[in-house]
Amino acid sequence: MATYIGRRLLLLPVVAFGVTLLIFALLQFLAPEMRAAAFITNPNQLNALPAIIEKYGLNKPVHIQYYTWLREVFHGNMGWSQTARQPVAQAIGSFFPATLELTLYSFVPIMLIGVWLGTAAAVHRDRMIDHVSRVFSISFRSLPSFVWGLLILMFLYGRLNWFPPGRLSLEADLFVRSGQFRPYTHLMTVDALLNGQVWIFWDALRHLMGPVLTLTMISIALLVRITRSSMLEVLRQDYVRTARAKGLAESVVINVHARKNALIPVITLSSLTFVGLLGGVVITETIFNFPGIGRWGAFAAQQLDIPGVTGFAMFVAALTVLGNLAADILYAYFDPRVRLQ
Amino acid sequence: MSWIRQLTALLVATLVFALVGSTGVAQGQAVRNPDTLILVRFGDPESLDPAYAYDTASSEIFLWHVYETLIFFNGGSTGSFVPMLATEVPSVANGGISRDGKTYTFKIRPNVKFHDGTTMTAEDVKYSLLRFMFMDRDGGPSWILLSPILGVESTRDDKGNLDVSLFNKANQAITASGNTLTITLREPYAAFLSIMAQWSMVVNRRWAIAQGDWNGTAAGLRTLNNPAKPEDTKLFSQANGTGPFKLVQWDRQNRQAILERNDTYWRQPAKLRRVIYRVVEDFGPRRLMLQQGDADIVSVNRVEQTQVEGLPGVRIVDDLPQLVVTGIFMNLKIDVSGGNPDVGSGRLDGNGVPPDFFADVNVRRGIAYAFDYATAIRDCNRNKAAVNRGPIPKGMFGYNPNQPWYTTDRTRAEAAFREARGGQVWANGFKFTIAFNSGNTTRQCMAQVLKSNVEALNPKFKVDVRGVTWAQYLSLYRQSKLPMWIIGWAADYPDPDNFVTPFQHSKGTYGSAQGYNNPQVDKLIVDARNETDPAKRRAIYFQLMKIAYDDITTLYLQPTGFIVMRSWVRGWYNNPAFFGPYVYPMAKE
Repeated sequence: MATYIGRRLLLLPVVAFGVTLLIFALLQFLAPEMRAAAFITNPNQLNALPAIIEKYGLNKPVHIQYYTWLREVFHGNMGWSQTARQPVAQAIGSFFPATLELTLYSFVPIMLIGVWLGTAAAVHRDRMIDHVSRVFSISFRSLPSFVWGLLILMFLYGRLNWFPPGRLSLEADLFVRSGQFRPYTHLMTVDALLNGQVWIFWDALRHLMGPVLTLTMISIALLVRITRSSMLEVLRQDYVRTARAKGLAESVVINVHARKNALIPVITLSSLTFVGLLGGVVITETIFNFPGIGRWGAFAAQQLDIPGVTGFAMFVAALTVLGNLAADILYAYFDPRVRLQ
Repeated sequence: MSWIRQLTALLVATLVFALVGSTGVAQGQAVRNPDTLILVRFGDPESLDPAYAYDTASSEIFLWHVYETLIFFNGGSTGSFVPMLATEVPSVANGGISRDGKTYTFKIRPNVKFHDGTTMTAEDVKYSLLRFMFMDRDGGPSWILLSPILGVESTRDDKGNLDVSLFNKANQAITASGNTLTITLREPYAAFLSIMAQWSMVVNRRWAIAQGDWNGTAAGLRTLNNPAKPEDTKLFSQANGTGPFKLVQWDRQNRQAILERNDTYWRQPAKLRRVIYRVVEDFGPRRLMLQQGDADIVSVNRVEQTQVEGLPGVRIVDDLPQLVVTGIFMNLKIDVSGGNPDVGSGRLDGNGVPPDFFADVNVRRGIAYAFDYATAIRDCNRNKAAVNRGPIPKGMFGYNPNQPWYTTDRTRAEAAFREARGGQVWANGFKFTIAFNSGNTTRQCMAQVLKSNVEALNPKFKVDVRGVTWAQYLSLYRQSKLPMWIIGWAADYPDPDNFVTPFQHSKGTYGSAQGYNNPQVDKLIVDARNETDPAKRRAIYFQLMKIAYDDITTLYLQPTGFIVMRSWVRGWYNNPAFFGPYVYPMAKE
């Protein structure tokens, strides 16, 4: 097990650098003038394009640019992100906690409701709950996230003024930066409780609701459908019939015998969902003006902020490797037939 | 299925509440955060260092709020000034400007305190001006002072090496003694007061040095000059100025800059206690924040204007004059090296245009007469623009309202095209591309109008409209590859020189990309720059506008601006030279 994990961890830098190599190769298709555009904030600067290209070495061959970048990374410098207006490593450090918090708050309802609803739909196949869950999953999934996000924002903020965009309200924000508030974890709700400021906890929670609701709606559908079909398959197995035959209570048959085996594909999907959420939920974060890593990553890509995009891609690659590793370990736990070597 | 019933009940209740409940909080809404002004816009500032920043988002935050200038604009006027950190506006009459128009003397206001409580002196002003000139990052604003004071556009030679001898010259050109600051220009430069009103921001010398910034000597120039990244300057995210507001924090994670009132300001302290500049990229949430009163002033594009009209508690002030001119450019020397899809076959065979297609003035006149200005203004600019008779914005000194100009005239357009290239253009027809940066619907629409106007003249005329990404647009434009393109110019400072130079000079930003080279124009531009007699200077600009008409390389439009704010915002006024609202006199009630 330890060797398996160790080997997978060794893979991590390889994948991360493979990703960066790919990005640099793709950049070869863009003219240096295009890559310099990230530094132009005003048409009055256009005459300075050649000097800017020279200064940042954008006209050098791509392998030289990659080498220069790599050398800096080995010295612990991932470069300057022109879109974040800060160094890349610092940008990841400052944007990630917000995304992590959003992910944690979304993942719990996604998993609980998703697995429960999927199981219920399978057990009560072709009954009311099955139809309702199907209708909801399909309708949640069939509209893009920005539609849901905007609808939620319009009603729950625009109409009811319950869940405003951003991360904190003005008063809470000013208190947090007043020096009386210590950021221990940079997860706002957790820090609020650690600081004994319950009102900030509620304020932060209020701001989390909109994006959490959006993410739950769009992520839950797949989970419900996968759980349902996996569950249906397991329920047809002989050992389930045996369990029923020997007179076990239906709840025990479903919850203990059947569900554990039905969860294997669900684990794959949920680890991917989790990593996907952690890697940043671009649209949702943008609509709710939530200061997470996805909003920045997308913006960096749009503006051709090369160090920004490369750093972001490395980070997401690392997350994906770790997420898959976690899924593998969970498989072994849920299914003793799977042995990690 | 009790849970279904519960869920349904909850959903129905939410919907009912949402639909028939409160219709927004707007009506009779109490002023939200009465002592804090929240401005929500798109686009982050690039740096809060006044010597580095060259974007409106940055200047909007620090200019006249955190940092102040020696003189200031008088109300809404861009051409008359009032004292600010100087006690009077220099003029020939009060001895502040020498008879030869080269030496400017500023009396520095006594007892003005920086935010850290120290007193501002003429030495601080000198330090700030030198720092501005010698930071000189690539693509930065330093040329604005370098050009009139030293007669150079950059502090570095072609190889990028710093010319230290310039520092000695600058040191002599700017002298501080007691409470007097003297600046000697290389040549008389009529726009100098306009420049001082916007670009003489004063930073705290002693504080800056203590932060590890430039120490004020020639030896320290190497670290000051052309920093590799914005963060390399110590004033990137911290400030110590004299203005009515102090910078509390530039929070780059939450994308907001927070200013707080300076209670020891040299004038009456501001009415507002706090100003927050927040970036919200998406229009949807920005609009909702305005509606809910969580934003007091929001940036809105012209195409989104209808979505904020009629919102209760929201005030829109429209038809604001702006120092912005949009040009529809024709390229006299199209670059076709390495292939250029935008010129088709590259020959005048009905399937393309040769590189010098627009070098024929008849072609350019044909375009100028064919373009349907009224439709373009009505349909593409929502009637919020006007034809400009040359590159100088209407209303600015040097603009000639009586300059004859092109109007839509199919007969004349046809006549001009028939004459072009001895009739070949009319006989063979052509095909070329007019480009716009994708996403800019106004420019896209104007390109479409031009296409249909030109194609209506002759079935053999073909114009393609092509949208390209901003990055690609810059690249193609810079390489002179686009036959025609549309782009705007915003003033660096309110003076006609800042318009005729980029548009008409052979080395100007746009003139050079168009391959336009008229030695007479180049000479007139320099003459006007150095002419101190306003009447003579105006005459030269009139002459330049006449040449803009005769040579017609560019069609000019001047769009107007508008501002969207909560009606509880008081004290706002417009000056076209501002980069954003001047918050000092503003309040909420």
